[in-house]
Amino acid sequence: MQIASGGATDVGRVRSNNEDCFRLVEPLNLYVLSDGMGGEAHGEIASALAVETVVKHCMDADINHAAPLYGNPPAGLTEQTKRLVSAVYLANRNIFKSAETNPEQSGMGATLTAMWVNGNALSIAHVGDSRAYLLRNGMLQQLTSDHSLVAEQVRRGIISANEAEQSDMQSVLLRALGTQESVEVDSEEQALFPRDLLLLCSDGLTRMVTEPEIAGTLQAETDPQKASERLIAIANENGGADNISVIVVRLESEPKNWLSWLFPGGRKHASKNGSAGGH
Amino acid sequence: MPKLSLMFEGKTVKEVPIGNRPITIGRSPDNDLPVDNLAVSNHHARVYYEGARLVVEDLDSLNGTFVNDLRVERATLHDGDSIHVGKHYIKVDASHDAPVPYDMGRKAAAPAINETMVLDTKARREMLQQAAAMGERTQFASGRIKVPTILVLSGKTANKEYILTNKLTTIGKSAMATVRLTGWFKPQMAAQISQRDDGYYIGPGDKTPMVNGTPIPGPTRLNDGDLIDVCGVRLNFIFRE
Repeated sequence: MQIASGGATDVGRVRSNNEDCFRLVEPLNLYVLSDGMGGEAHGEIASALAVETVVKHCMDADINHAAPLYGNPPAGLTEQTKRLVSAVYLANRNIFKSAETNPEQSGMGATLTAMWVNGNALSIAHVGDSRAYLLRNGMLQQLTSDHSLVAEQVRRGIISANEAEQSDMQSVLLRALGTQESVEVDSEEQALFPRDLLLLCSDGLTRMVTEPEIAGTLQAETDPQKASERLIAIANENGGADNISVIVVRLESEPKNWLSWLFPGGRKHASKNGSAGGH
Repeated sequence: MPKLSLMFEGKTVKEVPIGNRPITIGRSPDNDLPVDNLAVSNHHARVYYEGARLVVEDLDSLNGTFVNDLRVERATLHDGDSIHVGKHYIKVDASHDAPVPYDMGRKAAAPAINETMVLDTKARREMLQQAAAMGERTQFASGRIKVPTILVLSGKTANKEYILTNKLTTIGKSAMATVRLTGWFKPQMAAQISQRDDGYYIGPGDKTPMVNGTPIPGPTRLNDGDLIDVCGVRLNFIFRE
């Protein structure tokens, strides 16, 4: 499958600094997004460290398949998913250690949601309340569970999904990177179909824009980069209360015409990345 | 008030209103709706409200409980449905009951977003307990583990039963589909079921599935006992305990 991707991040309308961070590693079809937290500029340090650790661990493993795995990923997973889970586990450890050695960083943390596409196999590793979505046949489906207090309450039947959206406890996370020495990493595997569209985003998007609006925008704007920027613009129009980060990945079937032998290897990808603006 | 009417050879034999208590159906005289027929088990089935939904549940009867001629373990009832036990049938008279479509409304004014904080494990447990103590609906959540399951009632599929474990379950002919349809002219991906925090939702694939006989307008929440029709295959969505 041929893959096109784009991504963007914005500080929003209320905050003064951007603690989000994301990276598109197109040669590997690896997509990583993180939302940092912590006073001063420490949220930015946490999210940047998280993204950097995950990307480096996966890139190293791409060259050296025997590279060690961390955090005992569950046995039933594919090698790719295990690697991604290991990377997120390592990111947790790196942030935790950094906060331990630098007391002023104490309390910093980050969410992390990463997707890795290999042929039609999608691997996801996830901690926190950033989200991965799949848009397929016009239906937008969240592939991750938010590790937030309100989401847990909905899962337990204590409050309704609508009550969760109104709750003032939305910022309370049950799991994040960097707050404990080790962390439980969620994983998910899915088979992808041609024309599937993947979305990674921070809560700055999903708290400002409804899922139907997100689905509509992704269907209307087929260029992944423009779609990412459009979603950020809508989040800002609706208030932009938090930092907003978006990655859009579009899968297309290989063109099967007689000209395809002229372009072996498909398009060349440039590496793009975005990172917290900061001061 | 909703009611059940026991019919035999076109005549109403007995009527009972449906309240908070389950209505029991069976051959034994201690039932709310006693049915004097050897084909009916002593305690054959019961009908009760689960939240706003009216549900019929077969009590492991020998000859089975049928809703609109389809044998069911448990099914959601709708106004005008008929339940068959033995040679009798029971008319369902309930005013409103429809699948709940996914809320398409705009997001309400967002509450103030405060600094994100993380609860450590101890604080988290306490907070959840507190929240649970306040919530009235916890009785549904506690104790029993419910396993979402798809039973194949009719049509050609690779298996007859599927337990939904992933965030997303696809139904189609594709080798990658979870519920794999076999036979000619079936779409690669006919429909899909996604798990959200508040339940399971079915959405269209290459086809628009029907839930309880109605084509879905968009992602639709599945209730225990719902019947799904897609590409000539009939599926029953249930929560197994």
